[in-house]
Amino acid sequence: MVDNPRELIPIIDNLGYVVEEELATVLYLMMKLEKPLLLEGNPGVGKTKIAHILSEYLGYELIRLQCYEGLDVNNAIYEWNYQKQLLAIKISESSNKSDREKEEMIFGEEYLLKRPLLRAITNNKRMILLIDEIDRADEEFEAFLLELLSDFQISVPELGTISAKQKPIVVLTSNRTRELSDALKRRCLYHWVDYPSAEKELKIIKKHIPNIESQLANKIADFVEKVRTLKLDKTPGIAETIDWAKGIAALDNDDAAMYNSLSCLLKSNHDIQAVKNEFFTSD
Amino acid sequence: MSQHYTQFSSFSEAFIGFAQKARLNGFHSGIQCTKDTFESALFGLWPDKALFEYALTSLFCHEAEERVAFKKMYNQFWKQKGTVIQDKRTNKNQTSVKTNKVSTAVMLGKGNSDANEEEGEEAKTTTGANTKETLKRTDFAYLTKNQSDALDELSEKLVKEMSQRLKRRRKKANKGQIDIANSIRLNIQNGGNIIKLSRKNKKKDKYRLMVILDVSGSMDKYSFYLLKFLWSLRSNFKEVEVFTFSTSLLRITDYISDKNMAGALAMVSRHAKHWSSGTKIGKCLTDFNDNYSKRYLNGKTITIVLSDGLDTGKPEILDAAMKHIKMRSKKLIWLNPLKGMQGYEPIQVGMQAALPSLNHFGSAHNFSSLLELENILLDA
Repeated sequence: MVDNPRELIPIIDNLGYVVEEELATVLYLMMKLEKPLLLEGNPGVGKTKIAHILSEYLGYELIRLQCYEGLDVNNAIYEWNYQKQLLAIKISESSNKSDREKEEMIFGEEYLLKRPLLRAITNNKRMILLIDEIDRADEEFEAFLLELLSDFQISVPELGTISAKQKPIVVLTSNRTRELSDALKRRCLYHWVDYPSAEKELKIIKKHIPNIESQLANKIADFVEKVRTLKLDKTPGIAETIDWAKGIAALDNDDAAMYNSLSCLLKSNHDIQAVKNEFFTSD
Repeated sequence: MSQHYTQFSSFSEAFIGFAQKARLNGFHSGIQCTKDTFESALFGLWPDKALFEYALTSLFCHEAEERVAFKKMYNQFWKQKGTVIQDKRTNKNQTSVKTNKVSTAVMLGKGNSDANEEEGEEAKTTTGANTKETLKRTDFAYLTKNQSDALDELSEKLVKEMSQRLKRRRKKANKGQIDIANSIRLNIQNGGNIIKLSRKNKKKDKYRLMVILDVSGSMDKYSFYLLKFLWSLRSNFKEVEVFTFSTSLLRITDYISDKNMAGALAMVSRHAKHWSSGTKIGKCLTDFNDNYSKRYLNGKTITIVLSDGLDTGKPEILDAAMKHIKMRSKKLIWLNPLKGMQGYEPIQVGMQAALPSLNHFGSAHNFSSLLELENILLDA
């Protein structure tokens, strides 16, 4: 573990992620304070990737919970193994056990199916827990998370409270499609991940496509920065820039290649037309 | 006067002082936050002011928009040399009270004249069975000072009742999916044969309310009362977002979340610099679409525009903005205070542009018309 956030920058850089001093400080702090980190930002700015990079850097296994509308305790924390429970009841029919004893038996840990959150805290080794796109989940689900985020424990009514054997490193991401509760935010460090500057995007392009010509990489980074100032249905993220750069590099590296491969960068016909009208109309 | 860390006798005191300053400036910083500030310093981030700033930003800011104000406060406290320590808490409260008194008058479109002038003024009221009914049906434009105070009290009560009624009706909805775990538990005595079924409570389909309030000069007589109503609404419904607009747009949800109505109004008056100015509905709604619609509108959002529709911009812009909002909302409603006037027809260019996109067009000239919202919410 490093002793200064600035030492993290080259390490993360070597792992393929361009990180600035501010994010490096937040990552350093999250590891030191053992607090969850909430990353907010537009889609495609590299929020999820940060959790993967941390996993690689620390050598901890990454466990991911992808959130969606309707996600509930049964899919995120635990579920009972109903088939096994029914079999156990059948088998114990001839035994002398009372109903209460049977109930205690079938609602024991042996019959519990662990979902990602429970797995993350009951694992003997420390893990990285990625709760991705928390803004897609319902508000009620946020309430389930509070106990985990503040005390690293989960309460199962039939079993009691299960505390973390090893506190996981928790990273939450949000695309900000809705406001998250204050209670959840209070329990986390907060960092806003913005679209990269042209300079940073240039570094990212070169990192992902080492053989790309400098002039072309420059041109792409500058162009994407301008495209992001337009009113588009879907503003291109970093992944789209990289795809587009790869597309252009695979073609002829000229303006025609940029024009013809715009579909790698933009995801709707409206956006493609808007960009063509703005930047490619002939005089 | 702003505080500066050099005014404290030790860094520990300065850390605490900074956390208190942050709290006074509206940042949600609890004891844990102060503790984390100390720990950040211990982890070697202090006295490197750049790294310490990044650390404190991640601890104190919970939204991207807060970062600019935080940076300013951080620089004032840790970087620029300050002068005299003042008890900001006392000053702030004094300012709030003063601002509120003036702001109330300004919001009512009366400049700085004494709000009490209105006391005793003859009110133009409609007839009602009792005082409560009279108050509910009185046009906001003709409320006296006494009636206005009485309506504040009544409004809180009525909105609370409305909220309770809505919650009760939702609870009465049918039960939901089978609860397998509980069904097994119920049927242990039947050898695991599922005879009795247990059901989960049906998931409540929660809606979100987005209210966009016109606070331009032409709405002066109404916007203040509508804002008070929105404060009551926000106190009882968690999922309410409120924006104001005239020539520019402002999100005021956080300001009207204050538990005290006077405090909430004072906060709004401090921030809403555009109060009582011109009307550019199309431009402001386009601004809303560009910056907030992705975040706040979805299939569960009911959007309500509270405006007289007297737009001075181009109707095409308003038309396009309304269509966009309609596309992203469950329902789009326009409540117009002028609709309460006898003989009113929505013939203004702005209203004509908005009408095709509306699911409902209602009035908002008195409290009774605002309570109609209950039926709209029930339908949703």
